[in-house]
Amino acid sequence: MAQQERDQAVDRELTMSRAMVEAIAHEMREDEEVFYMGEDVADYGGIFDSTEGLLDEFGHDRIMDVPISETAYVGAAVGAAQEGMRPIAELMFVDFFGVGMDQIYNQMAKNTYMSGGNVSVPMVLTAAVGGTYNDAAQHSQTLYGTFAHLPGMKVVVPSTAYEAKGLMHNAIRDDDPVVYLFHKRLMGIGWLPAPDGPKTPVPEEDYTIPFGSADVKREGSDVTIVTLGLHVHRALDAAEDLDDDGVDAEVIDLRTLVPLDTETVVESVRKTGRLVVVDEDYRSFGVTGEVVSRVADEALDDLEAVERVAVPDVPIPYSRPMENEVIPDGEDIKAAVEATE
Amino acid sequence: MSGDDDRVAVTADGAWTDDVDSEEGVVVNWFAGEGGAVDEGESLCEVQVEKVSVDVEAPVAGTLDEIVLGEDDEFTIGDTVAWIDPE
Repeated sequence: MAQQERDQAVDRELTMSRAMVEAIAHEMREDEEVFYMGEDVADYGGIFDSTEGLLDEFGHDRIMDVPISETAYVGAAVGAAQEGMRPIAELMFVDFFGVGMDQIYNQMAKNTYMSGGNVSVPMVLTAAVGGTYNDAAQHSQTLYGTFAHLPGMKVVVPSTAYEAKGLMHNAIRDDDPVVYLFHKRLMGIGWLPAPDGPKTPVPEEDYTIPFGSADVKREGSDVTIVTLGLHVHRALDAAEDLDDDGVDAEVIDLRTLVPLDTETVVESVRKTGRLVVVDEDYRSFGVTGEVVSRVADEALDDLEAVERVAVPDVPIPYSRPMENEVIPDGEDIKAAVEATE
Repeated sequence: MSGDDDRVAVTADGAWTDDVDSEEGVVVNWFAGEGGAVDEGESLCEVQVEKVSVDVEAPVAGTLDEIVLGEDDEFTIGDTVAWIDPE
């Protein structure tokens, strides 16, 4: 793959958080209209290191801590974007989106449409997503589907440092609103160790990854596993296990939900005939159902078997064994693949 | 250990050591790999002491010859975490 060729040329590896920060800093140097605001993003550097070090270079005028009012600062970002700035507003936890839901759902996503195209809203809404560290039901959701469901916004979910940087460059340069969801477990923080995988070689120069281009992380001929975010790494682990049993799994990283690269998924299913969709969002009315539907629309005759692996329709439990039970792991993915045989 | 070559030790210390009470820490992330070229001042790895993360920088430019303490390894402040073959 092209990405592996690039990797060999780069000595340096970065964690996902550092890759994100590098892209943001680059864009801020190039364009004075880019600024970042959110809770604890300035002096603290973001509780998941999403803005670590930016305050030192850019100061409080462009790296802004805000009061705990998501309605106020997301609304301020929408207004600034309409006036020509390029704000990045961070929801500390995606779970907090509900407080500012009108600004997100009715202003950020729709103002371009409602104004007949007279304004655009070139802002990025960043948010930490995901569980696996026992932070309970109000701090552990992924909610990709909640944003992808809404017309008007693009939705980005990086799985590695390489993707995090390229997708962030693209997000900031996009003239429409983008929701950029980073999984806490992938950031590479000392107290929340990442699995092997998200820390990758990252070029020093800027580069973009176009939205709507899924990446085949592992080629295989027997079954297609479609996933995103943290579960790319869990699916790759499962694929290694399956390989020992003689099952050759293809793993597709969607990278963006809106736009969704249906073509890459369908092409893979035409080859393998078996589809397993894996997601950390809730099972019902969500990402897994959407991906299966799209494949059914395009390639029903090629589809021999389908399985979905997602969080059952329950709030994420606080208790460690119970949280481990509901969030899909490699064994769950492997079992789902075996169920398609 | 360093007497038989010209390698330069990369040590887990810096201006930050005065700000912490603990002598013990843990290596969290390596950003450079063995055999790779490094610049003077480049962040080689991230260590954590008392839940505070600090970067350990290359004291000289050269080739990262050996990583002594890998990710998740514990260290005492001043320990050698790696060796650089200077340019």
